[in-house]
Amino acid sequence: MATEIARGAVEGGSDARASTPRPRRFTLFGLMGVALALVVAAVALTQARQFALLKQTVVYQDDYVVLSLYQVEAEYLRLREHWVRALHAGAALDRDALQLRYDIWVSRVGLLHNERTARLMVGNDDYGEPLGKMDAFIARADKVLGTAEPKPVNAAALATLLPELDALAGPIHSMTLSASHHVSEQIAERNSAVRQHNQVALLLTVFLSLLVLAFGLMAMRQMRLLGERQRALVNLTAHLREARQQAEAASEAKSVFLANMSHEIRTPFHGLLGMLSLLRDTGLNARQMDYLRTATESADHLLTILNDVLDMSLLESGRLALSEEAVDLRDLLREVESLMRPQAQLKSLALHIDTDPGVPEKVRADRTRVKQVLFNLVNNAVKFSDRGVVVLDLHRASGNDGSDQLEFVVTDTGIGMDQATLERLFKRFSQGDESRSRRHGGTGLGLEISRSLARLMGGDVTAKSVPGEGSSFSFRMPLHAITPAPPPVLPATTAADPAAGGVASLRVLVAEDHPVNRQYMAALLEGMGHRPFFAGNGLEAVQAIREQRFDIVLMDLHMPLLDGVGATLSIRALPDGVAATVPIIALTADAFAQTRERCLMAGMNDFLAKPVSPERLSAMFRRLFGGGHAADTAPLVSAELPASGSTPQVLDRSTLEAALRAMPRDRLAYLLQSFFEQGPEMVERLRVALRDGQALDLRVNAHAARGAALNFGLSALAQTAQALHEGATHVPAHEIARLIQRYEQLLAASREACEAAGLLEPVTG
Amino acid sequence: MITRRRLLCCLAAALPAAPAVALDAPAGPVVLTVSGRVRKPNQGEAAHFDLAMLERLPQHSFVTRTPWYSVPRKFTGPLLRDVLAACGAQGSNVRATALNDYRVDLPFDDAQRFDVLVARLLDDKPMAVRDKGPLFIIYPFDSSAELRTTVYYSRSAWQLKSLEVQ
Repeated sequence: MATEIARGAVEGGSDARASTPRPRRFTLFGLMGVALALVVAAVALTQARQFALLKQTVVYQDDYVVLSLYQVEAEYLRLREHWVRALHAGAALDRDALQLRYDIWVSRVGLLHNERTARLMVGNDDYGEPLGKMDAFIARADKVLGTAEPKPVNAAALATLLPELDALAGPIHSMTLSASHHVSEQIAERNSAVRQHNQVALLLTVFLSLLVLAFGLMAMRQMRLLGERQRALVNLTAHLREARQQAEAASEAKSVFLANMSHEIRTPFHGLLGMLSLLRDTGLNARQMDYLRTATESADHLLTILNDVLDMSLLESGRLALSEEAVDLRDLLREVESLMRPQAQLKSLALHIDTDPGVPEKVRADRTRVKQVLFNLVNNAVKFSDRGVVVLDLHRASGNDGSDQLEFVVTDTGIGMDQATLERLFKRFSQGDESRSRRHGGTGLGLEISRSLARLMGGDVTAKSVPGEGSSFSFRMPLHAITPAPPPVLPATTAADPAAGGVASLRVLVAEDHPVNRQYMAALLEGMGHRPFFAGNGLEAVQAIREQRFDIVLMDLHMPLLDGVGATLSIRALPDGVAATVPIIALTADAFAQTRERCLMAGMNDFLAKPVSPERLSAMFRRLFGGGHAADTAPLVSAELPASGSTPQVLDRSTLEAALRAMPRDRLAYLLQSFFEQGPEMVERLRVALRDGQALDLRVNAHAARGAALNFGLSALAQTAQALHEGATHVPAHEIARLIQRYEQLLAASREACEAAGLLEPVTG
Repeated sequence: MITRRRLLCCLAAALPAAPAVALDAPAGPVVLTVSGRVRKPNQGEAAHFDLAMLERLPQHSFVTRTPWYSVPRKFTGPLLRDVLAACGAQGSNVRATALNDYRVDLPFDDAQRFDVLVARLLDDKPMAVRDKGPLFIIYPFDSSAELRTTVYYSRSAWQLKSLEVQ
């Protein structure tokens, strides 16, 4: 729903923006920009014209022209005065003075011929005419006063010229007036032009201001739109985040459900497998055997799918944790080979396993997971090859960062794949192609799981292929070599011990996942003079049986990877007759008849309830391996659990005493010590499992805790652990939390009880 | 010629009054009189120049456009500051007077700031009175836009007759 809302918001938003408003706004902006440019240009033009006008005024000096006209008149008047005075009798004729006045007046008149003056007065009759008259007069007067011929002034000549000089007065005066008027007009004209320019400039300024205002408004609008858009984006992001969280939560819930379901399905499924194997021994005819084989194959296939789905859901929810242990690589490859060879032979394929001598003997790795990846790769190679050879090659390599790596390369000569197929290869539920999927079966999860596991280890799985020629898969993982150490001394006493009850020293394989329980069993068996060997889970147990001979197997029912029932089924199905018939005794804290029945159906020989007491164990050995009084052994299932509801003792003395009989006191103290030391860690694991909603983890841990507690006679602790184990999947969380708290309290109480009983040194500091 | 004769008379009358460490006395007709704060007068309180004396000062010339001629003209003559220095003139203002009684005040500083000419040749020819001669104060208008204003056009006095240093 949230996603839909979010998508709606996105589409709505993009619609609103993608349609008309944007181009329209851009057009508006463009128009305003053009208008602004035009206005600015007009302002510039006006100013340029004003400047030109001003410059013209300066250059042509119109005022000056008027002044010079006036001066022409003034000089004319002064000249006439001198002229008249010179003609007057009585006064000495000052020729120099007259000459100077005449020259000055002539220079003034010369100025009127100036181009600029002419320009100003063009088309003015009051100008041209007087000028002509003056020029004419000067031409005549120069004959008397000209600089060219310096001769005494002829008074008569002056007198002759005087009327002509007088006649100039009128025209010169009217010329001056006319020029004055003319210039005034021009000035008025110029002023009006300036005024007009000012008006235009004012108008332009107003327009400019309006434009700027409009721009400002648009910018504000734009800012507001941006703000709105940002708010919408923030909302959208919040919606999307919420939607993603919901989707992730849903996916997580599905993964958990899938993991739980797979686990829950496997348990009855093992029962089904057991029944099928029992059915085989009931004297079936050939047809029935055939049906049975088909049913078993289908069941095996179904089991593989279930395991894949469980792995996938664990990987997806990030709950799959890798364990690290010392792994003998060559041994591991032999195991792969022995498991895969029958399949290869069935298809007439050669299977070569090649190890480079440079590969160290032992490395630190998760043996089970490495093996799982290799199984998957080799299995695929065999599955998709109809002829030729499958090669598994192991060598050292260096990673991109130069680190040491191990590289397993599985090459086949099968049908191969094209590029498109290769690209799809590691995707979920995909196989080469649909037809292939139908032909070869499988979940399509195998390669994805393999790659995920490889990446979890810090490596990767890659593929190369040529259609029709075959494929090559490379599995790389970091190389953590272990320098060879002296072989560990097996905690075994070779000589038969009288305490063993007449039974010779036996090779005993104990399949048990809890370390404290393993130590307990080691102590018990060694105390009885037997040689214990250990397997951490069902797969390891099966492997051990295939590789070595054991006299008896003590099989815990609840183990990771492959539980006791499954391991028993695998052992019973081994081709090696001796290995397949090894006696298997179930060890479990469950005392229900239903459990016992499951064990027996799976092919186990007997059933031993935890806590395992030395008496019962030796009775069991006597019954199976001789010793006279096996027949009168008490019923094996004799450990009575306290009735539900009653408060059990913190410490069951009889169990402890039995344990003390089986081993030295200090050894038991050591075991108790390590059990209590691991106590807080166990509580923490339970709490983490509860917090993360990992019902499966809770169950497994509670079961392990219960088994250990029972062995030491810590009854109250064991009962709480059992309650946890049983309630893990359906009891409300707060109840589980209360049980865990009770477990923690009882842990402390049990420790105190052990200290009080003198079994444990009190903690100091 | 008449003019020259008259000037010679004036010169003869003025000669006895010339101080010992003074400007040379003018030999020809006086064309320029510098009066006022003059420390090296050659006749009474004033310094009198004939054309020859002006010719003896360092000569400069430039071509410039002016409002009075339609084409650029070449002006030649001594610098105003050399003329003022020759007669030991010192002051803040110079009042120029023309034959036509035109009068204008020049800041004394103008002579230092600009290469102002006391032009005696126009296009390498002596100037007659009717051609704005014989002397013409001319600013180098084309060298600076600052000079191309009415203020400096009005300071360019033609038909220059005398300078009074104040």
